[in-house]
Amino acid sequence: MINGLNEDQSAALQELANIGMGQAGNSLALIWKEFVHLSIPRIAMVDASRLPDLILSFVGDTAVSASRQAFHGGFRGEVLVVVTARDRNGLAQLMGYEGQLDAAEREEVLLDIVNILGGACVGGIAQQVSAEIGFSAPSLIGEDLDPLDVINPEQLAIDTALSLEVCFQVENRSLTAHLVILLPNNEVGALADLLDQFLCTLEA
Amino acid sequence: MSVSVLIVDDSPIARKMLRRALPPDWDITIQEASDGAQAIDIYRKGSVELMFLDLTMPNIDGYGVLEVLQAEGLNCIVIVVSADVQPQARERVLAMGAIAFIPKPVNPEGLQEVLRQYGILV
Repeated sequence: MINGLNEDQSAALQELANIGMGQAGNSLALIWKEFVHLSIPRIAMVDASRLPDLILSFVGDTAVSASRQAFHGGFRGEVLVVVTARDRNGLAQLMGYEGQLDAAEREEVLLDIVNILGGACVGGIAQQVSAEIGFSAPSLIGEDLDPLDVINPEQLAIDTALSLEVCFQVENRSLTAHLVILLPNNEVGALADLLDQFLCTLEA
Repeated sequence: MSVSVLIVDDSPIARKMLRRALPPDWDITIQEASDGAQAIDIYRKGSVELMFLDLTMPNIDGYGVLEVLQAEGLNCIVIVVSADVQPQARERVLAMGAIAFIPKPVNPEGLQEVLRQYGILV
């Protein structure tokens, strides 16, 4: 069970995220022209105060890059994507970048990734619960960050966040991107209500 | 005569969504499996006529199940139902013996069309 959601709501969210990530896999496969093997997304609701530790536990003690994208509508929040330098470079290669990337190219890669993954995941969930949702332009949080410095919980007006870990495997390469969906306090309830409505359609 | 159906998916919600998409007046008996290993166990008991198979699962994924089924003679009809909508996924499972690939979320009309197309639903 995910904190703030009951067992059925959590199971529904897990499956809807899974459907969303399937769409993301297809988008990435079209861009990369490679078959993308997707893992089952690992999903959890965490206290916002634990986010820095969570990101550290995802990537270990290594520098990361992060980008963000806000969404609004039926439920609102922000999606963050965190990748290590190795994974960012691997993703860039698949996107057709060659050689050493300059700062603008690295930013482009990070914005594309949050756009594709965040859009597919949050958009997929929203579509399934019949919620209209829109996205703001993505932006870069930073590069070569200490994992503990990606998010400062004290600057967030939220208590909980939804974390989603997605692993891709492409040919012999294994790449991982970490998604964190930040939901303002009142939005967890909004999402729970939408999930309940969705669950009702399965019982009707 | 009742058709013996096995729904294989690690998500209880996905299994429920699929049950909901099946024709309501269809004479079937439904069993469920929450991973590939469990699906193979049920299949080996010999009662499964139609299997709806997810691809991304723990304890043997859908591809692994298809490999086992192929090696053991594929004595049931397999329809893959997956969120992995890459064309290569579809091609791969059809090459492995599945008769059809249905993307998630399952569209009831699309599912029924496939069932009719293959004479499973008359």
